[in-house]
Amino acid sequence: MKLKLSDILITIVIALVFGIIYKLWGPVYSLFKPFGLHIGDVIYGMWFIAGTVAMLLLRKPGVALLAETAAASGEFLVGSEYGLSVLLYGIIQGLGTELMFALFGYKRYTAFVAALGGIAAAVGSLIMDAAYGYVMDLALWNLLLLIGARLIGGFLIAGLLAYFLVEALEKTGVTSLIRPASDEDYKALDR
Amino acid sequence: MQWTLNYEETWVHRLNPAFKLVFFLLLFLLLLFIHNPNIITNITVVPLLLLLFSTGHQKKVLLILMLPFLLLFFSSASSMMFFGQGSTTWWKWGLIHITEESFYRGLHIGFRALNFALLGLLFALTTRPVYLFYSLIQQLKVPPRFAYSFMAAVRILPVMLEEFQQLRAALLIRGVKKKKGYRRITQTITLYAVPLLSQSIRRAHRIAVAMEAKRFNNNKRTYYYKPTFSKFDLLFLLYTTIGFGVAFWVGDTFPYFDSTDVRQK
Repeated sequence: MKLKLSDILITIVIALVFGIIYKLWGPVYSLFKPFGLHIGDVIYGMWFIAGTVAMLLLRKPGVALLAETAAASGEFLVGSEYGLSVLLYGIIQGLGTELMFALFGYKRYTAFVAALGGIAAAVGSLIMDAAYGYVMDLALWNLLLLIGARLIGGFLIAGLLAYFLVEALEKTGVTSLIRPASDEDYKALDR
Repeated sequence: MQWTLNYEETWVHRLNPAFKLVFFLLLFLLLLFIHNPNIITNITVVPLLLLLFSTGHQKKVLLILMLPFLLLFFSSASSMMFFGQGSTTWWKWGLIHITEESFYRGLHIGFRALNFALLGLLFALTTRPVYLFYSLIQQLKVPPRFAYSFMAAVRILPVMLEEFQQLRAALLIRGVKKKKGYRRITQTITLYAVPLLSQSIRRAHRIAVAMEAKRFNNNKRTYYYKPTFSKFDLLFLLYTTIGFGVAFWVGDTFPYFDSTDVRQK
């Protein structure tokens, strides 16, 4: 299933909307982690949401990676305080989400797979953190707190919240425009 | 993005956008391989000078935009300073354990984050997205389908902002009350996120159909803007190379921090 122009355009539009949210999320996140205790990392999951939302909506290979990268570029272009690093973070987080949907052969779009996608994106962000913020040199309890909070954030926000959002969007009927026709659709024609 | 900011065009605006992007990415990677806090502190001056004197924006605007960077500096530095590993203890109180090693490592991370922030802001303030995408197609061979989708999507954002204001006014006039706690989240999603997203998905779909109806494709095409390379690219290259060179040299010969490598041994 190749991406059509409309798929790309819709993905990028959704991604840019989240890109703006990503940018606004920066100061929120800074406020949430005042003493380095990483409790605030639970809200870090917001930075993975574009990938899962776009993938759940469009259901085609490559969408999660494109969405997360595009969202990061949008965040960068409006002057993110994290600078160019967001681009690399975006790519690796998008790859994480993409990988999870690929593992299920791009056939399952359930809350479970979405949650896995969110967690995989969190793992991607931690890999970047190891290179960028020397997180491996934190005291062990603090490192575990960081990893735990990050994974829970990915699970809750990029997984469950994204799934809930897409479910609400489905009710508007907008998904019929964008999803590829499934076997069930063809069967419905025969009836 | 600079639809609302007034500014004068300077030489940094005239750099080739694709070159600027690739060059900034290289700088970013270079910064990841610097582990000496003396050097990275010196390097901070290089983007700071450009930002203050060569972006053509008003000083007031620049200061407002740079204010969150202080918060960023402390929030990136704090966890490593308070909870990092190290052997020379400076201060210990409960869970907080500040050691010489972790302090310098935290400082280093703070300055690294500051450098990324300054470079990022410099790029954002001196690059028009349209030029960037035209340059990406022509210099880096990005498929036009992706680049033009980006440009179209950027145009949809102001429409969404307008829709958002309309929605808010409509909800206000109907007397919708804000709910408390976690139900506030679901309320925001159903009242704002769903209508805004579904409308823009429909709009994006219509635009894509219209573009294809006009025979938009990935084949050879002509361009209205043709970004080229100029002497300013060379100037920028020289400025950064010399700036970084001096920063390295000064950091190496006149260190002012005790630590020269912040990695855990």
